[in-house]
Amino acid sequence: MSLLERHLSPDFRAGAREGFVLFLPLSVGLVPWAIVTGVAMTSAGLSPLQAMGMNIIVFAGAAQLGTLPLIAAGAPVWLMVAVALAINLRFVIFSAAIAQGFRGVGIRGRWVCGHLLTDGVFAVTLDKMLHTESRDWRLGYFLAPSLWSWVLWQGFALVGIGFAGQIPKSWSLEFMATIALMVLMIPMAKARPMLVSVLVGGGTAVALSALPLRLGLFVGIVAGILAGFAAERWHAWRAGQ
Amino acid sequence: MNGPYDWTLWLMLLAIGLATTLPRASFIVLGSRVTLPPVVQRALRYAPAAALAAIVAPDLLLVQGQIAPLNPKLLAMIAVVAVATRWKNPWLPFIVGMGALHGLFALLGR
Repeated sequence: MSLLERHLSPDFRAGAREGFVLFLPLSVGLVPWAIVTGVAMTSAGLSPLQAMGMNIIVFAGAAQLGTLPLIAAGAPVWLMVAVALAINLRFVIFSAAIAQGFRGVGIRGRWVCGHLLTDGVFAVTLDKMLHTESRDWRLGYFLAPSLWSWVLWQGFALVGIGFAGQIPKSWSLEFMATIALMVLMIPMAKARPMLVSVLVGGGTAVALSALPLRLGLFVGIVAGILAGFAAERWHAWRAGQ
Repeated sequence: MNGPYDWTLWLMLLAIGLATTLPRASFIVLGSRVTLPPVVQRALRYAPAAALAAIVAPDLLLVQGQIAPLNPKLLAMIAVVAVATRWKNPWLPFIVGMGALHGLFALLGR
């Protein structure tokens, strides 16, 4: 049975309805992010076509906002990949957690669902994805809010692209991307080892900012990961004393 | 960013796209047969925060390559952090941040 044929299944439609209704109020939060990402892509010098291309190919606000300065600065591709991977590694953990929810789904359906996995839909759908019997119901339950996120993301990024095109450079709209990344980081930095990771990662990147090709950024990420892990170990060791 | 550099840009976007879709699809596609060693999993938890900090910090602290502790961007970001930790409204940090930045620009005569 293909992905499309499942739309006919009543289970799929029941799951889709429930997932959509559950996610709808939360999905409003995507709107400012999509607009800011559209603005940031335009401010970084992408044409509207290139910006929408990025929005469709990448479909991830943090990874898009994080790699834009590298694109604008002409950094090497491997560094863009390294930065995107670092930002996206949380998805490996989400993907592992929700994988059981796709039992019985074919390989193509799994790729589509994997590509569409976002933080919001993951958080909202995880529980019933794992504990519902019907495969079609689960698929509808995951796909409906995911596709709705996709539509919102593309639509409002386009709004941002149109908006940024009308605004003069002196308005410093690119600062909105920095604000967005900072807002993403704040809840992460609440745990002590995570704060260590943030301070060391940021501090190293500042100290090494004179290195060519934005290599300081890469060293900063590695240093931040190691520092966070070391702080966690030290914390555990002290607790054990 | 157009003309002869166009195709390199699309290659970059594809590379960034792969670096996004592969982590997302990883276990959903592989199933839960494969697992990461717990030590690696725990170390990787720090990657997103470290990466965001390494991107944001130079932008906030450096002005033309020099550390400038009281520049308008950093001061505006302090206002953003204060607002974002208190209120959940997703628009507020952007309004406050851009407002503060332009207020400081006006004060400093820029």
